[in-house]
Amino acid sequence: MSWPTDIVAMDKGRTLEVAFDDGKVIRLTAEKLRVESPSAEVQGHSPNQKRTVVGKENVAIVGIEPVGNYAIKIVFDDGHDTGLYSWDYLRKLAG
Amino acid sequence: MVSRDEIMAALAGVPGPDGRASLPDSGAVSGVTIRDDKVFAAIAIDPARAKAMEPMRAEAEAAIRAIPGVKGAVVTLTAETARSVGGAPAGHAHGGDAPRRHGRPSEPLPGVKRIIAVASGKGGVGKSTVACNLAVGLQKLGLKVGVLDADLFGPSMPKLFGLNSKPGLAPDGKKLVPLENYGVKVMSIGFLVEEGAPVVWRGPMVISALNQLLREVVWGELEVLVVDMPPGTGDTQLSMAQNVPLAGAVIVSTPQDLALIDARRGIAMFNQVKVPLLGVVENMSYFVCPHCGERTDVFSHGGARKEAQKLGVPFLGEVPLDIAIRLNSDDGRPVVATMPEGAQALAFLAIARGVADGLAAGAGAKPAPRIRILD
Repeated sequence: MSWPTDIVAMDKGRTLEVAFDDGKVIRLTAEKLRVESPSAEVQGHSPNQKRTVVGKENVAIVGIEPVGNYAIKIVFDDGHDTGLYSWDYLRKLAG
Repeated sequence: MVSRDEIMAALAGVPGPDGRASLPDSGAVSGVTIRDDKVFAAIAIDPARAKAMEPMRAEAEAAIRAIPGVKGAVVTLTAETARSVGGAPAGHAHGGDAPRRHGRPSEPLPGVKRIIAVASGKGGVGKSTVACNLAVGLQKLGLKVGVLDADLFGPSMPKLFGLNSKPGLAPDGKKLVPLENYGVKVMSIGFLVEEGAPVVWRGPMVISALNQLLREVVWGELEVLVVDMPPGTGDTQLSMAQNVPLAGAVIVSTPQDLALIDARRGIAMFNQVKVPLLGVVENMSYFVCPHCGERTDVFSHGGARKEAQKLGVPFLGEVPLDIAIRLNSDDGRPVVATMPEGAQALAFLAIARGVADGLAAGAGAKPAPRIRILD
C-alpha cells in the first residue's frame, strides 16, 4: 500500500500534485477532482445517481484539510467541500 | 481586475487576531486568491478562539467587498496548525455555529501525543473493562494517560473508575477539567448526565458532543489518550477516525464465532480508514471454577488468537472470565490498580505492554503527508 508523502496544490489551485512513498508522483487537475468528487453530492448513493458536473474548467482548489489518516478534504472555490479523497481514490483518479 | 496589494491595503484597517497589529502585519492572512473579481482569503487563528474571531472575519470580508471592482469576498478562519493549510475554514465562513457536515478537520489534540481506540464489533465483550484496565496498565508503565469515554449511549467509565462527581470548569470558563483516579484522567458524558438517565440523541448530536468531550477538555500533557468506543461500525467510529489522527486501534473480542464475525468487521473498518491495528485482545477467554478449579471455555477458546494470526495483526493476550474482575470493576476498582499482583491484573499488564511496544515501534503508522498550497 503506497502512502502519500507530499500533497501540493499549485498553479493557482488548478493542479494537485501528490507524491507517494513508492516514488510515484501523480498530477490531477482541479477540474478532474471537482467533477469526480467522491462526495454524495456528485456520486449520489448508487452508480445510477451519479451526476455529471460540467462547467468546472476554471475551478481552483482553495483549501486542503487532512481527514484522519486516510484522506484529504478538498475545498474548491465554487464552494464544494464535501468530497473526501482517500489515498486510494487519488491514485485511482490518476489512472 | 483587483490586485493583491489593493486587498492588503484594504485589510490594513482591520485589527488582526491579537487586536493590535493590523491583519497584513499580523502575518495571519494566507491563501489570497482572486478569481473573476471574487476574492478568497484565509486568516489563521487559534481554533479555541474561533468564536471571538468571528467579528474580525466579518470585518475583513466587508473591507474586501468595499474595494471598487470586487464582486464578492469570502474570508475563512483557519486553524493555526502546520497540518491545516490554505483556505481551510476552521469556523465555517457562512454557517457560523452550524454543525459542519464532516465535523472538524482532523487537527491533532494539543498536548496529546497519541490517541488509540479500543473497539469491538459486538457489544458486551468487555471492551470498556479492557479499556479501563489498559489505561491504568499504561499508566503503571510510566506513561501519562487519559481516557475518553466515546460510548455516549452507554458510558461505563464513571462506574469503572469509581468517579461520579461533575467535572469542574477550567480557568477560561469554557473547557472542562477531566476527573482523575488511579493516575488516569477521565472524561465521560456520564459525568454530565444523571446515572441511569438515557441519552436519546440522533447522530449529529452525538458527533458534536463527542467533539466537545474530545476538544473542550483540558487534557494537559498526555502520552496516550485511550478512547473507549461504542460497539459497532457507525457514526462515532467514523467520526473519531476522521476528526483526529488515530495512532492505532485495539480490538476486543470474546472467542466465540458470533463475536469474531463482528470483530472482523471492526478490523476491516479500521483498515479502510488506514488506522493501524495494535492488536486483538481475547476477553472472557476461559473460566476457572473458584470451587473445583476446573477450567471451562465458556465462549470457546483461542478464537481471537487464530483470527489475529489469519489477519496478520498482533495478538495482545487473553483475559479470563473472572469474578474478581467483575466485582472490582463494578466497584470502580480496576484490578490492575487494586490487585496488581493478581493473575487478572498481570494479564491486563501484559496487554498494556504489548500496546506500549506497538506504539513505540510505530505499529505501521505512517507520518501524515505534508500539505502545501503554492501560489
